[in-house]
Amino acid sequence: MIDERDLLIERVRTTLRGSPDAAADARAVARVLTTVWASPRPSLWRRALDAWRMPVVSGLGAAAVAGLALLAGFVTRGTVGERTPEAPLAATGPATGEFPVQYAAATTGEVAAVPTQFVFDGDAKESVALVGDFNGWRPDATPLTRLENGLWTVTAPLPPGRHVYAFMIDGTLVVADPRAPRAGDADYGREGSVVMVFAR
Amino acid sequence: MLVALGLVLASASVAPASAQGTAVLPIADAKARRAVEREIASAEAKGLPTQPLVAKAMEGVAKQATGERIRVAVAEQAKRLEQARILLAPSPSVAELTSGADALAVGVPGPMLKQIRAAWPATQSVVMPLDVLTELVARNVPAKHALEQITQLMARGATPSQIASIGASVQSDVAAGLAPDAALEVRARGVMSLLPSPAAAAALAPSGRRP
Repeated sequence: MIDERDLLIERVRTTLRGSPDAAADARAVARVLTTVWASPRPSLWRRALDAWRMPVVSGLGAAAVAGLALLAGFVTRGTVGERTPEAPLAATGPATGEFPVQYAAATTGEVAAVPTQFVFDGDAKESVALVGDFNGWRPDATPLTRLENGLWTVTAPLPPGRHVYAFMIDGTLVVADPRAPRAGDADYGREGSVVMVFAR
Repeated sequence: MLVALGLVLASASVAPASAQGTAVLPIADAKARRAVEREIASAEAKGLPTQPLVAKAMEGVAKQATGERIRVAVAEQAKRLEQARILLAPSPSVAELTSGADALAVGVPGPMLKQIRAAWPATQSVVMPLDVLTELVARNVPAKHALEQITQLMARGATPSQIASIGASVQSDVAAGLAPDAALEVRARGVMSLLPSPAAAAALAPSGRRP
């Protein structure tokens, strides 16, 4: 965007304006060039500020930066901001027990997510959370709600595919879902459960 | 100029801060946490997605694994992601890489990932076929048989949902006591009966299908 050679020429021109007797002498021009080239280079910040002062560059530069800013904005909106299937689910609020629980960004980059209900009917004093590959195994991402009949449940939109998960009981104990097939775990040696999600 | 700078700042604020960052890894042992962060940074330097690695670390935290075990698990996952990237070339998505890594983790032979990728157009995600292959192999269906059935379904124009339904049905059948191989055979036949004949499927095949 800012050509260093242009800045150099500009500095040479400024220097020559200050020494009119040197303008006609090629050797003097060479000396000036050498001196300018050998002089300490201004900082990047300084050079950027200098460039903005040049009318042509500042006009073009402002347009270019504005264009790049808009482009970056669109790009980040379209890709970076979009939740990938591996990104944690972001709940818009605490689970209420009403179905389906609404989450922000319920679609994935590839296919629409499928609301999937999980039920836990074991012992838990305070809390049960759903942890799995779909929410980055974060215990605060998908809490279950206790119903009046004592069951815990949550409905979460999951990307289609195979997902490994477990329940975290009272913030510490991780247990597999007794209602679902088991998933082996070579990495940590603690079995989880597996669910196949697809649009029916 | 101020307007341009304002636009730059505004557009920068759109992106979530450190979406894939490791700063929040809740590993109590500081030395172990740094070791895990180094593994993730090393993978990132190779151009691998960090999100599946952070998730792997978080899984270890949830399962109360030791810091060293988490580090090893993250390193292994990074290796699998790297292998999957090669096998699913040219441009696998993060989801495809993760599915590929999961397939390798349950013992699906690497070349089978390549065969799955080749069976569908490059523009179509292979997440579902890979996930079903993973699930079938995890249920002790021989990998070769599982691959044959899945690629045959893909060639006949089965949808990702139809392929997924096989994975779910075989899951239930095996849980009910049916032999994994037999369960796959019968479920694949069921889906196959819903699909057009091979000749019709070939005629309807989307352009870009790889040989």
